[in-house]
Formats: sequence, C-alpha cells, structure tokens
Amino acid sequence: MSDRIFGVFGVLLAIGFAIAASLIQESFLSDAVGPKAFPYIIAAILGLSSAVIALRPDPEPIWPPLGQLIEILAAAVVMILYAQLLPVAGFVIATAFAAAYLSWRLGSTILGACLTGVGTSVGIYVVFHLVLGLSLARGPLGF
Amino acid sequence: MFKSTRLTLVALLFSASALTATAEGFSPENPECIAPANPGGGWDFTCRQVGKSMQDQGLIEKTMQVVNLAGGGGGVAFAEVVNKRNDDNDLIVAASAATSTRLAQGAYPGNNMNEVRWLASIGADYGVIAVAANSEIADLTGLLDAMKNDPTSISIAGGSAVGGWDHLKVLIAANAYGIEDVRSVKYIAFDGGGEAVTQLLAGSVQAFTGDVSEAKGFVESGDIRVIAVLAPERLDGEFADFPTAREQGVDAIGANWRGFYAPGGMSDEAYEGWVEKIGALYASDAWKEVMATNGMAPLDLQGAAFQEFVANSVAQIESISREIGIIQ
Amino acid sequence: METLSSLADGFAIALTWQNIGLALLGCFLGTIMGALPGLGPSNGVAILIPLAFTLGLAATPSLILLTSVYYGAMYGGRISSILLNIPGDEPAMMTCLDGYPMAKKGMAGEALSLSGISSFVGAFFATWGLILLAPQLVKIALLFGPAEYFALFALAFMTLGGVSSTNQAKSAFAAALGLGFAMIGVDTQTGVPRFTFGEVHLYDGLDFLVAIVGLFALSEVFIFLENRHGEASAKGKTIVIGRLTPPLSMLKACTPTMLRSSFVGFIAGVLPGAGASLGSFLSYSLEKRMVDKDGTFGTGDPRGVAAPEAGNNAAAGGALVPMLALGVPGSGTTAVLLAVLLSLNITPGPLLFANNPDVVWGLIAALFIANFMLLALNIPMVGIFTRLLLVPPRVLMPIVAMVSFVGIYGISGSSFDLLVMIGFGLLGWVLRKFDVPLVPIILGTLLGNAMENNLRRAITIDNGNWWTLIDSPLAIGLWVVAIIGFILPLFFARKVKSGMQRGDAEGSIKD
Repeated sequence: MSDRIFGVFGVLLAIGFAIAASLIQESFLSDAVGPKAFPYIIAAILGLSSAVIALRPDPEPIWPPLGQLIEILAAAVVMILYAQLLPVAGFVIATAFAAAYLSWRLGSTILGACLTGVGTSVGIYVVFHLVLGLSLARGPLGF
Repeated sequence: MFKSTRLTLVALLFSASALTATAEGFSPENPECIAPANPGGGWDFTCRQVGKSMQDQGLIEKTMQVVNLAGGGGGVAFAEVVNKRNDDNDLIVAASAATSTRLAQGAYPGNNMNEVRWLASIGADYGVIAVAANSEIADLTGLLDAMKNDPTSISIAGGSAVGGWDHLKVLIAANAYGIEDVRSVKYIAFDGGGEAVTQLLAGSVQAFTGDVSEAKGFVESGDIRVIAVLAPERLDGEFADFPTAREQGVDAIGANWRGFYAPGGMSDEAYEGWVEKIGALYASDAWKEVMATNGMAPLDLQGAAFQEFVANSVAQIESISREIGIIQ
Repeated sequence: METLSSLADGFAIALTWQNIGLALLGCFLGTIMGALPGLGPSNGVAILIPLAFTLGLAATPSLILLTSVYYGAMYGGRISSILLNIPGDEPAMMTCLDGYPMAKKGMAGEALSLSGISSFVGAFFATWGLILLAPQLVKIALLFGPAEYFALFALAFMTLGGVSSTNQAKSAFAAALGLGFAMIGVDTQTGVPRFTFGEVHLYDGLDFLVAIVGLFALSEVFIFLENRHGEASAKGKTIVIGRLTPPLSMLKACTPTMLRSSFVGFIAGVLPGAGASLGSFLSYSLEKRMVDKDGTFGTGDPRGVAAPEAGNNAAAGGALVPMLALGVPGSGTTAVLLAVLLSLNITPGPLLFANNPDVVWGLIAALFIANFMLLALNIPMVGIFTRLLLVPPRVLMPIVAMVSFVGIYGISGSSFDLLVMIGFGLLGWVLRKFDVPLVPIILGTLLGNAMENNLRRAITIDNGNWWTLIDSPLAIGLWVVAIIGFILPLFFARKVKSGMQRGDAEGSIKD
C-alpha cells in the first residue's frame, strides 16, 4: 500500500514539475532546444517510473510508531532552529546546544549529553576555524 | 566566475613582495572581505590574496577574515551587504565585470549599484576573438561577413552564460559591424574559457570569445589564432601581434575589470582609508610587471573615478542588453 | 628513454626533506578532509591554498603540498563511507554500497585496507598513464564534442538500473529526481531562472554537497533516532572489528577488478567534465555486469569496494591530463589546482611540458611520493580508524551531524543551505524507508546540468537538428553500449524472476 501511495505521489510530483517547467519564462535570446525541453523529458521519466512503482509495489516497509516519528520531527525542528540561531548566537554556543540535544535524545545521560555537546562544539571550532581557517558564524561573544 | 580568478591571483601574489607603502589614518579593527562565491572561485581568490598581501605590507594590522557568501551570482552577498551590513566600516566585497553585468541586467532583484560604495579597481583584461589555426577565416571582418551571410554557419563558443560578458563582447562587435539582428548570432555557452577553447580545437565550433589570459597558452603553441583584441590600442609585449578590432574598422571595446565595493553606509574616513590601501597595493612595480607578462591592461581607478567607471559600465551594458533583447 | 630520465630529474627536484615533509603534511590533512562529510577534495585544496602561500613556498613545493592534499582527500573519502555509510566526498559514494555492508559483517578493517590498496593501484597506474600517454590522451578529449558527451552521460544513467537497487523503477525515479534537482537555478544557456520560485538563494542552483550531506549524513542521524528504542535488543551484540589486513586470497580475487577499474576510471578522468564520480560509478557498474554472477554486489562483496576506489583514484590522476595539457580542468579540484598553477605564473596548456619541464616532472614525482606515502600512512592507521566503530552512536551521531552543518556553513556561509540540507535529510529518511536508492539522486544532481547543456549545445550547433546526436561513430558506439546496458538487465531480471516463480510453484505443489 505504501508503494502505491508513493507512486501516486510521484505521478503528481511529475505533473507539478511539468507545469512548473511550462511556466518558465522563455527569454528573447534562446537556443534551439530552449530551457523547457529537458525538464519535460525528466518529468516524463519521473511520471513513468512512479506509475510503475504504483502498479508493481514492493513489500510494505516497516513504519515506526507515532512516538518515533515525533522524535524525528523534533530533531528536525531543533536542527532548523539551529540553522536560524547560528548567525545570532554564534557558532560555539548554538552548536553545543544542538549537539547536546541530539546526544540526549540518542540515549546519553543529561551530564553525558552536555559533555558531548561542549566537546563537539569546541573540538569542531578548533579544527575547522583555528586550524583550517574556515569562517564560522561569529556570535556576540566573538566566537 | 573562474576566469576572473586567474589574473587577479597572479597579480596579487606578485604584488605581495614589493609593496612598501603604508596607509595613515583609518585602520580597520576586524577587516573582513566577502567573497560572493564558494572557495576556489575568482572572487574568493581576490579576497584571500588581497587580504594576505595587505597584511604582509602592513596596510592592515589584523588578518583579513574571508567570508564566503555564495548564491545568486553574487546577488545574495549584495543583498546581505545592503540589508544587514550597511554601516560596517571593516567590510569590503570582491567584484568584477560579472557584477556590473548582473546589476545592469537586473539579475540582483531589488538592488542597484548605488546602494553600495565602489572602492577601487585592481586591473582589467581585454576580450579577444579567436579561430582555430587552420581556419579559413582570416580576420574579424571575414568572420563577421560569414555571420552576416549565413548566421547558422558560425558557432561561437565562450565561457560565460548567454547574456554574460563573453557573449556580450561578440554582440558588441557584431553590432558595431552592422549586423542588425544580433539575436541570430549563434553563441554556445561552456563552463569556462578552457572548455570553450577545447571545443574550438575539436572542431565543434568555428570561433572563440574570451579573455587574453585564456587564449595565451594556445596562441603560443600555434593552435589558435587571435583575429581581434577588443582594446582601444594594441597591447604591449608579446601580445602586440594581435590586431585590434578598431584597426579592422569595427569599433568595439570590451574590458573585464576587477575590484571591490563597500557597504553604502561606510563612513567617509573608512572609505578613504580603504581606497588608499587598495591604491597602494595597485601602485607597486611588481604588479606592473605581472600585468605586462599577462596581457592584463592597467585600470588604475580609485574612489570617485571608479564609482563613475562602474556607473558607465552598468549603463553601457544595460543599453546593449536592451538593444539585443536580453532585458525588456 | 627520455621520459624516464625526465622522471628521474623530477624525483631529484621532489626528493628534498622539505618536500617530503610537505607531502606528509598534505597527505595527512587531505585524508582527514576527505573523511569529513561536507569537505571534499576541491574544498580541501581551496582551503589549504592560503597555507601554501603563508608558508611562502615556491612553485614546486606548493604543488607538492596541494596535490598531496588532493590525493589524500581521494583516499580519505572512503573511510566514512565504509564505517558510517556516509560518503566523505562525492566520488566515495559508490564505496558505501559494499563497504558499509562489509563493515557490518565485521570486516571493517579488511574493507579499509583493501580499499586503501585499491586506491593505491588506481592512482599508481593513472600516474604512469599520465607520464606515458598525456600527449596522446589529449586527442581522446578532442574526440568528444557536445553530442558525444551527451551520449556518455546517457550511458551512465541507462546502466544505472540494478546497480544500486533491485527495483529498476525506483532507480529511474531516483535518477529523475536528481536530474530535477539539478534543473533548479538560472539556466546557463539562456540565463532564465528555473524552479527558483523567486528565491534568490536558489539562483545558483542546489549545491550537490548540500544534497549529499543531507541525504546521507543527516538521514543516518534520523535512522539512529528512530531505532534508539530498539537499541536494548541490539546491545547484546558485540561489535566485531575483525582482521586489519585482507587475506591474500581476497587481494588475488580483486586484482583483475582493480586493473579494469583503474583503466575505466582513468579514461573517465581524462574527459573534462566527467570526473571522478563518473569514474567510480562506471567502474562499479562495469564490474557488477562482468563478475557479479551470484548477485553478491551490494551485500559486502570485496570486489564492490575495490572497483570504485581504484576507479575514483585513477580518475583523479586522469583529470590531471587535460588540466596540464589543455589547461582545462576535468573536475572541481583540478579547477582549483589550475588556479594555483596560474597564480604561480605557470600557464598550463600545450606548451607546458616544453616550457616548464621541472614543474611538470616535479609534480609527477610528487604524485608518486604522495601515493606511496598514503599507502604507508593508511594501512597502519586502519586500526585507529576502525576504533571509530566503538564510539557509541549517542556520541558519534551528534558529531557527524554537527560536522556536516559546519562543512556546509563554513563553505557557503548561508543558513539557507542548512535548511535545504535538513530538507534533504528528511527526504533521505523517507526514501530509505521506501527502499529508493540514494546514489542515482546524487548522480543526477552532479551530472544533470552538464548533460542538459551538452544536449543543447549539440543541437544548437547543428541548428536544431536532433539527429546530430548520433552523427559520429563514437556517439553511435556509446549509444549502442548504453542501450545494451539498459535492456540486458531487464531481460535477465525477468528470466531470474520467472525461474524463481517456477521454483515457488513447484514448492507449493509439493506442499
């Protein structure tokens, strides 16, 4: 059943892709093929393969229970917050928090998670910033 | 983008050895240079090498922090500077003819060139049009005549996108020669000048448009023949053999410049300080030597003069782009 | 022989204590950069260029340092592929397919040292190829016009089916998805934005590094989060590291694979624009076609580790041919190296071998030195690398996630890229559930633009005539191979399936 839904979704995606391709503004100055042709070909392959998946599904995958799905979504939310806060809070602080959260959810004790978080953050800062010279986000405290 | 790497990098490296000038007055506390591209691109090298050379020469006290802010062909960095870093005195941003081309064609949505302050140039590279050594086409007028008679018979390869600088150079020449519908000119975009030259050698295309630095090696080896350089006068040294477009009766000039801009709200003191520092970098003897050996043309513009130059360049590209229908 | 005496001169230039020290430093840093997800050879070299300048090195020592980093990163990418199922860089993607299953079977040490040896073999032969054939090989590159490149890319995609998944429809879906991602951004042929939805961050397109790190590394983190609750049952199982060096019989079995893959990879490297990823991919799919009689590829077959590693390291050497002889970079990394050469006032191109023999031969000697050094460095370090498996996931996974974020943020400086990466992470998790292979997605994102551009160049040059695609013997040859590669597995799959069904039917009759 999952594969059938997936296949139908794929067909819809292909249709959406083709529609988005048809909306591409052709410029005055175009080559013989134009910017739409290749996306149409891709949409066709996408649609065909999705249809095959829907018609000939594989065995059902094992879906996690709701609790674990929430776990994954929560981790994604933390990562999104991390991406947004990185330029504001600075690299070291933001990273320490995000790494500590992940470590905690993966089964560390609170103390262990904090240690992992700080260790990861400082370790990466030293290797990437101080040794390799990459520019990392600078927070209000200068790191 | 890659092509702007080459000479800048060469020039900056060599300039590192001979500079002695030091700037008085303004000194940035945390000098920072935004490269509007990933590491390895032209703008990235411009930043890293200017930063290093300036520090070596004592023009700045602290290490120049190079920040890569890629996206939108420089548009992401431009928007960031205008919107978030507008009054930062320690910040400069690498730019080139690609920047002014995009500004002219409205490819930085919602931004224009007056929202930043233009600091100074660090050199320029003139455009060339070349054919394979064994080509039947003898000179620029021969090529343009062939294009006029049958536009489908001539494919021209270049390293920039359609509407980009390499393409515009051909169109400027075609326009100057009186080809009415320049849109019929068949331009094939490749990923960089090197790939375009290779396809010229492979016989896939009939002509090549690019910079002097891209053609140099292949001219020396006798594989390709430069039929026109888009400079006002012949270049010096080993490049003196290249005929200009002008002397063949085609009034076309195309120069790819490189330089820096700064946030629009930068204080006058800081602006003058940066202008002076980049000027000092440019003025060294070693620099001139490098320009001579690489066919790089001098473009010694600082402060207000540079600001005016960029404005003219943007206006010119805008009118050409409008004329040939890249923008409405 | 003139070549050999030039090479001897090269060694005389390269073999100083300073240069050997630089090679060692470069190899070490390169290996680490290669192993870290998000930092690949091209970024690694670009990041270390300032180091070369800061040290005030002359042309030859700078090149020795940076090519050591290049080769080191090509070696290092396999480490995280094998141990974590996360490719350290894009060419190491194919090594995941059999390397990680080997590690799961307790053969991590063997997989690492076997892949190290394969890397050495690939790089070793590629360097000889570079020495002996560089001038001739340039002619191969000149045979490839836009139509031929398009046929080559089509070949890669058409032989994709069955390489990374048992379900061809899902492989095709994944490839189309990857190609679709590649379409995002400003169209380089006409300059119009496509699928950007007005978002300026998307104008340059999606960075494939963002895609690869999201799809592989972050989705791995999500998988661990999902399985955490089942951890108690898995805990009883002790982690087996196994022996550190492969038995001679395994090396012997892999030798033909290594040699074939070195050849395929080298040719792929020589073609500008094809590069190491295509090299390792073609090597793997060719080996699977040729020797995988029992269907063991993808389940931890040592030959499935040897093939892509020999292939991608040979391609790394091959990519130097067009860079040195034509000044055309065959990959992102050689583009950076090319910029370095130019900065040292050396113009690569047809005259490089005549004008700067000391640089060329010094560089080639440096490649040999780096290669031997990497072998010497990597085999003893296998023991250290495999300890990584003993780090519990609750510590290791946060580090993997954060290194991924930093790799991307440090390069592009953009929070937007991080969000896209998280999106790819979730997508990767969902697709893994559905058993959709991830490799074709990356291949599509990597090659999509080049494939489309060459199609359009070919047809524009020939004024809109699509038949130009099969207008040369080389293009026709490539298409024939592509079509055979596409049809054969379909045919065999049906045969195998019907055989199995017959077996089932017999079984049910017996019951």
